[in-house]
Amino acid sequence: MHRLLMLSLCAALVSSAAFAQAPTGKVTVVTSFAKDVTDPVKKAFETATPGVTLEVQNRNTNAGVKYLEETKSSNQVDLFWASAPDAFEVLKGKGLLQKYAPKASGIPEKIGQFPINDPAGFYFGFAASGYGIMWNERYVKANKLPDPKEWQDLAKPVYYDHVSIAAPSRSGTTHLTVEAVLQGEGWAKGWGTIKAMAGNFRNITERSFGVPEAVNSGQVGYGIVIDFFAFSAQASGFPVKFIYPTVTTIVPANVGIVANAPNKAAAEAFVEFLLSPAGQQVLFEPGIRRLPVNPDVYAKAPADYPNPFKDPRLNSMIKFDVAKSEARNDVVDVLFDQLISFQLDSLKAATKAIHEAEAAIAKKDNAQARALVAQARELIAAMPVDEAAASARETASAFTGGKQKGARQAELEQQWAVFAKERYAQAQAKAEEAAKLAK
Amino acid sequence: MTTATANRAIAVPAVGVRIEQVNLSYGDNHVLKSIDLDIRPGEFFAFLGPSGCGKTTLLRLIAGFNHADSGRVLVGEKDISALPPWKRDIGMVFQSYALWPHMTVARNVAFGLEEKRVPRAEIGPRVTAALELVGLTGLDQRRPAQLSGGQQQRVALARTIAVEPKLLLLDEPLSNLDAKLRVQVRRELRELQQRLGLTTIFVTHDQEEANTVCDRIAVMNQGVIQQVGTPKDLYEQPANLFVANFLGTANIVEGRVIGDGASRAFEVAGGLKIPIAADRKLAPGARMVFRPQDCAIVGAGQSAGPDRTEAAGTVTYREFLGASVRYGVRAGTASIAVDCPFHAGDTLHEVGTAVTVAIATSSVRFLSD
Amino acid sequence: MTMALPAPRARARLSATPGQIALALGIAVFLALFLVWPSATVIYVAFTEKGGGAFTLVNFADFFRTDLFLRSFWNSFYVSAMAVAGASILALPLAYITSRFAFRGTALIQTLGFLPLIMPPFVGAVAMQLFFGRNGSVNLLLDDAFGFKIPFMEGLNGVIFVQSIHYFPFILINLSAALRNIDASMEEAAQNLGSSGFRLFRRIVFPLAMPGYIAGASLVFVKVFDDLATPLLLNVKDMLAPQAYLRVTSIGIADPMGYVIAVVLIVASVAAMALSALATRGIDYSTVQRGGGGLARRKLRPYESVLAYLTVMLILLLVLAPHAGLLLLSFSTVWSFSPLPDGYTISHYARIFGESSLYIKNTLIYASLAGLIDVVLGTAIAYLVLRTRLVGRDMLDWAASAALAVPGIVLGIGYLRAFYGVKLWDGTPLASWIVIVLALATRRLPYALRACYAALQQISVSLEEAAENLGATKLRTVRRIVTPLMMGGMLAGFVTSFATAAVELSATLMLVQSNSDAPLAYGLYVLMQSAAGRGPGAALGVIAVLLVGVCTVLSHFVIERGRAMPQAGH
Repeated sequence: MHRLLMLSLCAALVSSAAFAQAPTGKVTVVTSFAKDVTDPVKKAFETATPGVTLEVQNRNTNAGVKYLEETKSSNQVDLFWASAPDAFEVLKGKGLLQKYAPKASGIPEKIGQFPINDPAGFYFGFAASGYGIMWNERYVKANKLPDPKEWQDLAKPVYYDHVSIAAPSRSGTTHLTVEAVLQGEGWAKGWGTIKAMAGNFRNITERSFGVPEAVNSGQVGYGIVIDFFAFSAQASGFPVKFIYPTVTTIVPANVGIVANAPNKAAAEAFVEFLLSPAGQQVLFEPGIRRLPVNPDVYAKAPADYPNPFKDPRLNSMIKFDVAKSEARNDVVDVLFDQLISFQLDSLKAATKAIHEAEAAIAKKDNAQARALVAQARELIAAMPVDEAAASARETASAFTGGKQKGARQAELEQQWAVFAKERYAQAQAKAEEAAKLAK
Repeated sequence: MTTATANRAIAVPAVGVRIEQVNLSYGDNHVLKSIDLDIRPGEFFAFLGPSGCGKTTLLRLIAGFNHADSGRVLVGEKDISALPPWKRDIGMVFQSYALWPHMTVARNVAFGLEEKRVPRAEIGPRVTAALELVGLTGLDQRRPAQLSGGQQQRVALARTIAVEPKLLLLDEPLSNLDAKLRVQVRRELRELQQRLGLTTIFVTHDQEEANTVCDRIAVMNQGVIQQVGTPKDLYEQPANLFVANFLGTANIVEGRVIGDGASRAFEVAGGLKIPIAADRKLAPGARMVFRPQDCAIVGAGQSAGPDRTEAAGTVTYREFLGASVRYGVRAGTASIAVDCPFHAGDTLHEVGTAVTVAIATSSVRFLSD
Repeated sequence: MTMALPAPRARARLSATPGQIALALGIAVFLALFLVWPSATVIYVAFTEKGGGAFTLVNFADFFRTDLFLRSFWNSFYVSAMAVAGASILALPLAYITSRFAFRGTALIQTLGFLPLIMPPFVGAVAMQLFFGRNGSVNLLLDDAFGFKIPFMEGLNGVIFVQSIHYFPFILINLSAALRNIDASMEEAAQNLGSSGFRLFRRIVFPLAMPGYIAGASLVFVKVFDDLATPLLLNVKDMLAPQAYLRVTSIGIADPMGYVIAVVLIVASVAAMALSALATRGIDYSTVQRGGGGLARRKLRPYESVLAYLTVMLILLLVLAPHAGLLLLSFSTVWSFSPLPDGYTISHYARIFGESSLYIKNTLIYASLAGLIDVVLGTAIAYLVLRTRLVGRDMLDWAASAALAVPGIVLGIGYLRAFYGVKLWDGTPLASWIVIVLALATRRLPYALRACYAALQQISVSLEEAAENLGATKLRTVRRIVTPLMMGGMLAGFVTSFATAAVELSATLMLVQSNSDAPLAYGLYVLMQSAAGRGPGAALGVIAVLLVGVCTVLSHFVIERGRAMPQAGH
């Protein structure tokens, strides 16, 4: 029976080739988007383009990239559709995307400081998203916690053990959040902020959606998430709130046509549909809640819908350097994993000790204790590699596998892990000493 | 159990079995050692021996479940060593009966016929006949779990006989039955075998079973056939100490040979001394062997006959057996069992009394291991 | 006569019919093609040198030089051992009470006890969090009433807690079967000699049931050791399986380390299985039974009865909590930071009503095909191992059992590499759904194999010899005697394979190529990526559980009927 289906699909493909121009048949898209996003788009697209069916293959971003790589010899996928621009850069680098010039009009060149489309024409932004902090109001009320405004706020002692984030190595969107902080505040200061925040982490999830899930159900108070997770949760009735901190970035979610797409005509039709006003309006659906890239569409937006083209806050956001991000992509992820994810217990212990020392100092000041705490903070913030080394080819090549000679990934990781572990232990000792002095 | 139809339905031509130089080892364990055996057509033959002697292994070898390292097995002059079990046409009744619990009695019995591609129309009557033969008419729709042990045993037998095998193998078929049933079933077995004229091999560790049922017996020990013969031969003329001791009760007395020529005698420490006929050859380490009924307790003053050897001793135990009384008498280093016939009114010797034992000299044999 | 000597000797060495050899070769080819080769395409990287691709063991040295991996190894070991302990605590009373006493609802308990194995991915963990999480119902109520919380779900303890509940059925099933097979006379002999109560259990009953217990315990150990979903959903990353998964699916994809861990996982699992096999070797007292056998079920005194029911209820309440939570979740509007949902609705079911039929159909097809393949292979392997002296038969057993240890993700990528783009003889591409079925069958083969193995072990060889003696060939004996007698075990194997395959995700996620080919678990995964999908996802999860549950009950019914047959008419 499946065979029959396959045969009829083949027949459909053959006939679509025969009538070249009018897109028909099946168009296959690999996407990281949830069913809540893909279903309304699929419905609207199939209505707008009769004769074409959209076949959705749901994979997380990394698995999707991996899948296209493994199957490129006889590719059956037409489109790749996901949030993280990095993934598209990787695909582009591996020659797995093909160029296209969208015909849609009314879409500006940039959103905030970020170019909406790939300048080289391999992928196209269709919706914008910003990163920020989401929280559960019931949880906050029960624990009597204040509302945060900036990333730094999450580093305050009051948020200890209340914050959750997805591992940047697992979530393209979190990676961009981390990268945005690093670009906004600079390498050293940025990592300092991130680690200070990380000291308050309750956990680090393996899936992007793990964070909003935990906040929605009230297992965690605060989550560092991409905006639409919060908006769609609000639309579903969950008692959650969301803010954009100052240092963030608006980044487009993208779509690209896969090289050797079996149904190129329909693939192009899908891209055109996404960028058309009709396609842009689908983004307002309660289950989607993403920011359209066509400014005119906002006229039809629901009340209180954020508009990145009008909101002065969103316009003042930092300039995001994609090339820089791409060059140190793996290094940032592995650093985060080795210094934070896999050392979370010792980092939290050190952070807690510092919080206690600071509380003691606040009651009874002691210069020596203050110096010790400052040293402890420095120890925590210390990085095993500086910005230049992180982008250097030698470092990056450790993460690209068997092709190049050089340091093995495991060696570097062990070095970094030991570096962090020792410093966190020292920091904890110093903070505890400080607390004793201030008593 | 005897009807004309049953007899006609199961008619089997008798074949002989020849086992030639069969050896079998499991690793270092030499289970069968150079077995040579000839079983005549129509014979009821027993493999008798203690557990672990290799008797069941030999039986399973004939059935095709064990494979010899060397040697061969011939059934009716045909070498069957290379045949798989299902092509051997040899029926076997298992010790555990091995009735299939998921089939009715009738299905169990019909199984072999179906496998032998007997025409469908014949199967029904032959199943009925086989069940009739073993006296189980009317139980054909039961399942094995609903039968008594004796009934299960009969089903197993019926199942095997139904296919009319050339040879019937019985692996300790009576061991799972109670004593009374055992006597009854073994008579029936014998009767059935006689009627069918079917060459049958019976494995048992019970000498009484072998003696009562079988024409000839092969006594086995430690993978070696000790002696083959009729029950009477084996009892009267045991080839070695093992056979003498395994079949019936025997007094086995250690001692040494003294003198030589006509005055040669076997002397037991503590008094007993028996002359040895000049033409008798004694293996080194031979012991004196005689049956309890071949000796008697004689009162003081009673004269010993010419063919008698006497020894003084003390009664150590007494077992009243009804027809006879068995006394244990210690004479020097020897401990001798003496069976005295009992007649109403006889007085019994008490334990501890001093008595004289008279041994029939001609009944004494000198055997070694 | 001397000429005849060589022939029997050669036969003794080979000791198998051509049919058996062909069967063994067939199985070997299947395992090589669908287990070894796909895994090897992924795992060989573990042995290659960076930059050259030459063979090296330096990566294994790296493994033992890296603190994180050593810690992960130790954590995995600790969690697995503790989960075995936890699962035992849950399984022992249930198995004992239901198999040694005349206890109402035994069948129900045995069926419900099976349910935790069918915990659909994601939703199960979400439901657990809602009940037992830091701000789950239990802790919110405790905090309200007494001002403290119990960290059920924190860190390694959380993993142990969830895994114990999830996998205890393996011990329950095996132990119950073992307890049922103990001859009543064993127990009676001990009672006769003055032993009773707990001492009787400890000294006679439990040692006799030991092989069953060890079989179940080793399965729990290996499953927990290799499971990645539960630790990851509880955000525990420093365990081996999650480490392998995290690396293979992200930056480590080109790095040997993920595959090194996979090799370590496989070796550790095979070692655990081997150890349990060794441990049971000397103590397998399976007795050939004739007639009734089995154990006597004692009547409970009233107070004992109350105690027994309380114990059973408490355990069932605990182990079925995830399913209760799932059910609640599937009917709830919003459930956030409160003991119970804010409101109830059936709209989630309405939403998935249309699309779920496709998922259900696919799941039924895939899982039953996989279960069927597993039972056929499992029976064949068990037969070869237990009934022939074929050289290398144990290798088949080990290889098939090793499938338990190959991480799903490794197999998934391996299948993609090995079979994507493979064309059939007529030029059509090998359909992805066939590949999914094969992957599921390979992954679940060990379950069916163990069930078939146990079933065959309990059949006295003389039953087969009797058939051969009456003229049935090996093949006919298998068909007419072995298969009917093994039916119960085979069905049990099928149910285990089927039920667990129905909720399998890790391998299928990689292999699903179109929505029309997707099974339930995939549908769940897709739904559980958004806030609005939580309710519908839970609803789909409930459907999955119901589906598998109904199939399980049905087959239990069939098994019980098969068992009851011989006693009919008494």
